[in-house]
Amino acid sequence: MVTIDLSNMSIRKANEILRGYGSTHQNVEIVNPDARHYIGVGLINPIKVKIRGSAGYYCGGLTDGPHIEIEKNVSWGVGDNMFQGTIVVGGNAGAIAGEGLRGGDIIVKGNIGSRAGQVMKKGTLCCAGNSNFMAGYMMYGGRLIILGDSGERVGEDMMGGEIYVGGEVHSLGNDAMLVDPSSQDIDSVMEFLDGCDLPFKGAFKKVVCAGKLLKFKTPEPRIRNMPFFSFSGGHADYWNPKVQEDIQVKSVIGRYRIRGYGAARHVPHYQDIVFKKDLSDLTSDPDVSSGVNLRTFIGEKHGGKPLDLSMPVMVAPMSFGALSPQMKTALGIASRLSGISENSGEGGMLSAERAEARQLIAQCLPGRLGWNVHDMKRSDGLEIYISQGAKPGLGGQLMAEKLTKEIAAVRGIPAGMDLRSPSRHPDILGGDDLIMKVQEFREAVGWRVPISIKLGAGRIRDDIKIALKDGLDFIELDGLQGGTGAAGNEVLEYVGIPTIAALQEALDGLEEIEATGRLPIVLMGGIKDGVDAAKAIALGATAVGLGTSMLISGGCIACMQCSVGNCVVGAATQTPDHVRRYETEKRALMMHRYLESFRWQLAAIVNAMGYSDIRQLSRDDLVAVTPEAAALTRLPYEPSYRDRFRTKTVQ
Amino acid sequence: MCAIAGILFKRDKRPELGMSTGEALTEMLNATLHRGPDSCGWALYREPKEGELRLRFFIATGEAGRKDIERIDSALTEQNAEIVDSAAVGCTYAARVKFGGDVQSFSYAVGRAAELVSVGTRLDIIKEVGKPFEVAPRYDIASYDGDHGLAHIRLATESGVHPNTSHPFWACGFADVATVHNGQLTNYWIMRRRLEKRGMAFQTENDTELIAVYLAYQMSRGATLEDALRTSLEDLDGTFSYLVATKDSIGYAKDKLAAKPMVKYENDDLIALSSEEVGLNRLYPGRALDTSEPAPLTYGLWSRS
Repeated sequence: MVTIDLSNMSIRKANEILRGYGSTHQNVEIVNPDARHYIGVGLINPIKVKIRGSAGYYCGGLTDGPHIEIEKNVSWGVGDNMFQGTIVVGGNAGAIAGEGLRGGDIIVKGNIGSRAGQVMKKGTLCCAGNSNFMAGYMMYGGRLIILGDSGERVGEDMMGGEIYVGGEVHSLGNDAMLVDPSSQDIDSVMEFLDGCDLPFKGAFKKVVCAGKLLKFKTPEPRIRNMPFFSFSGGHADYWNPKVQEDIQVKSVIGRYRIRGYGAARHVPHYQDIVFKKDLSDLTSDPDVSSGVNLRTFIGEKHGGKPLDLSMPVMVAPMSFGALSPQMKTALGIASRLSGISENSGEGGMLSAERAEARQLIAQCLPGRLGWNVHDMKRSDGLEIYISQGAKPGLGGQLMAEKLTKEIAAVRGIPAGMDLRSPSRHPDILGGDDLIMKVQEFREAVGWRVPISIKLGAGRIRDDIKIALKDGLDFIELDGLQGGTGAAGNEVLEYVGIPTIAALQEALDGLEEIEATGRLPIVLMGGIKDGVDAAKAIALGATAVGLGTSMLISGGCIACMQCSVGNCVVGAATQTPDHVRRYETEKRALMMHRYLESFRWQLAAIVNAMGYSDIRQLSRDDLVAVTPEAAALTRLPYEPSYRDRFRTKTVQ
Repeated sequence: MCAIAGILFKRDKRPELGMSTGEALTEMLNATLHRGPDSCGWALYREPKEGELRLRFFIATGEAGRKDIERIDSALTEQNAEIVDSAAVGCTYAARVKFGGDVQSFSYAVGRAAELVSVGTRLDIIKEVGKPFEVAPRYDIASYDGDHGLAHIRLATESGVHPNTSHPFWACGFADVATVHNGQLTNYWIMRRRLEKRGMAFQTENDTELIAVYLAYQMSRGATLEDALRTSLEDLDGTFSYLVATKDSIGYAKDKLAAKPMVKYENDDLIALSSEEVGLNRLYPGRALDTSEPAPLTYGLWSRS
């Protein structure tokens, strides 16, 4: 047993040493912990760690295999997302003990705080004392044992798993119910208690999911594919066919509709902004990009290895689940061929995609679906999802048809429900909590990779200030036009704010605190070509993200029915015979060629402006041709440019 | 978006701790600094002087500051307050005055000369942009050694980083009442209009100031601190863990969702509250403490007497 004295050491250093001992399988004793945070975060070796005192936030979080004993108390989030291992807490545990637990055992000898076991998937969280309110909140699986009283609203919105309460159940949560435990249940619980020397005499009450809210009662009727122009854009009739269809569907299902894709209504966008310089004599030199610097590094602010993009373009986060494994793999290939980054999206990392993509960002969502320390460690960037442009303030949705056994296994949740992912992180309820989450992630990956935050544009002027102060490396900002696999129709159309407005608000926010240029912005939401991208970058974005347009270049037919799970192309489905239709390599090459058109357009514009580096583009190069776009961006309103813009566009 | 700290000593001698009240609060802030490095502040209480009020104002720097002081001095004289002692420190001007009239109308009147930081027989609020270890020596925080006090560090989210948006907040118009708060009220404007209709004034648009005024107003109408804390759980909406101090007590209240952390420690010498256990542990390094986390929708209070 070796000793680490925390009284004279930073946590970052202590965790480095701890990981070192872990790799040589030495047991460790930690003295003078004084409730410091992140002790043992990211440990993936089965060593014994004895903490002589109290530990702070996220003790033993994002781990696989260790046996950690804490003499006294722990603060919030003990054993966060632990994969395997044992954590024994001698005293009390703060809120969200065992949040997102993936396996292993956490035993707390004292009381536990509120929302214990939130979104846990597997393993056992046991508390010898009382639990505070909302124990087992949104749990997907695993076992929660409370020997004392359960507090209010136990099992709130639980979707799986079981909760045993030895004392009083103060009140049941939404969609939770009491059942009689079977003798096997009791034997198993008693065996567990014997194993951790917790004698208990008394009867257990068992709380499980009542299952009334897991699925929508009436499924949405099948609808016909409809040409976009019939309902989208400024000239569509008010009672257009899509509106009629919407009403007809609602008259069958009696609730809001869910569909895929982004907003169809017309909002000011990059077509309303043009370059002042006449670009009609653009070069046709296929090799124009060799003379223009497009290469972009992003994410080095806090010492991590930055993403190295051959041009300022990223693939936007789209989940394995919403998309088929073939589609995800194809995105990985295309991103590698074009020298840009891919993003896992919600729901875990697909190994084939990891292998194909040279740079892959792992996205962390509130449900922590599929999230684990190993994927974090094999990623090139971490992204904390707060919200997305298509549905700010709401979580992901995956209808039962697409939540197959395979997808459910990767995510660590029960199959076959209409999955509505939580919209709020268990451990990020404000700017101060976010700092602590970012620090935990940095510890888990040894400060090796950049950490970004995905923000659906809402109150972005304030949000970006928080992101800057909380030590993020860059933000992914997503406007109203961003797409999604499934969301309520009204949310898609009316909740977010347009992409050009989002960028301006974000830039204004930074300016207000004299931080212009100090936080790179990756802008997403309706970017369809290199010209849009060049305008976004000229306005102040560092790079752009592509989601919907990547899908279209990869074969998507824009039927807006991603949520149904019946995608005929094999892109947004998990049905085996549809998935098989998707020709991964061929589609990957199509997406790669599409990305290369961005490279050419970006380079040709930079070249035509007389610059040699894309960062030389500035807002002085642009004018707005509609009063709305001018108002949103504060660019000069120059309607005279409109005619030129209509007749001569960049090829 | 912050960390809060509060301490109340049960007796004058505290051999185990070896820190003054000011020092103890500063250490607690420093331990939780990651939660809000923008600005910091203390609400400290001292022995009262017979017939005297302590006032502190924000002033500008340089020549404008001197003009502020002249204006404040003449406003005080106009209100029949005799200045016993005064000094400009940092971005503030502190004055001790002999005054025997109505504190509320007096502070509304002199508050027009310059923005008031605090008024009280015992209370002195010091707040400033910067980190606690940088700011504390400037105001000699270590020399404050009263029975109790509050402190706060702030991560500014919506409003800017200025001394006057920092916590603690004084209950505008009421002597000796101060609050610190972690969280956000969602019914701020409804509550503010309600209080304004009853003649209350506000110096900022900060929700924490509203909590202070709310509690002080309730107490001015005959409620005890305990009554005021209890009704605040129903009247205030949003997320909060807040601390309040009066001339001889400290109290806390926590919202129904328990979205904001707060940990409590009590021994024979003291009761201490901090956003995180790491703050409490700073008072007793190397020791594992018997702490507890107050439950949602609860309040608590302790007084010296």
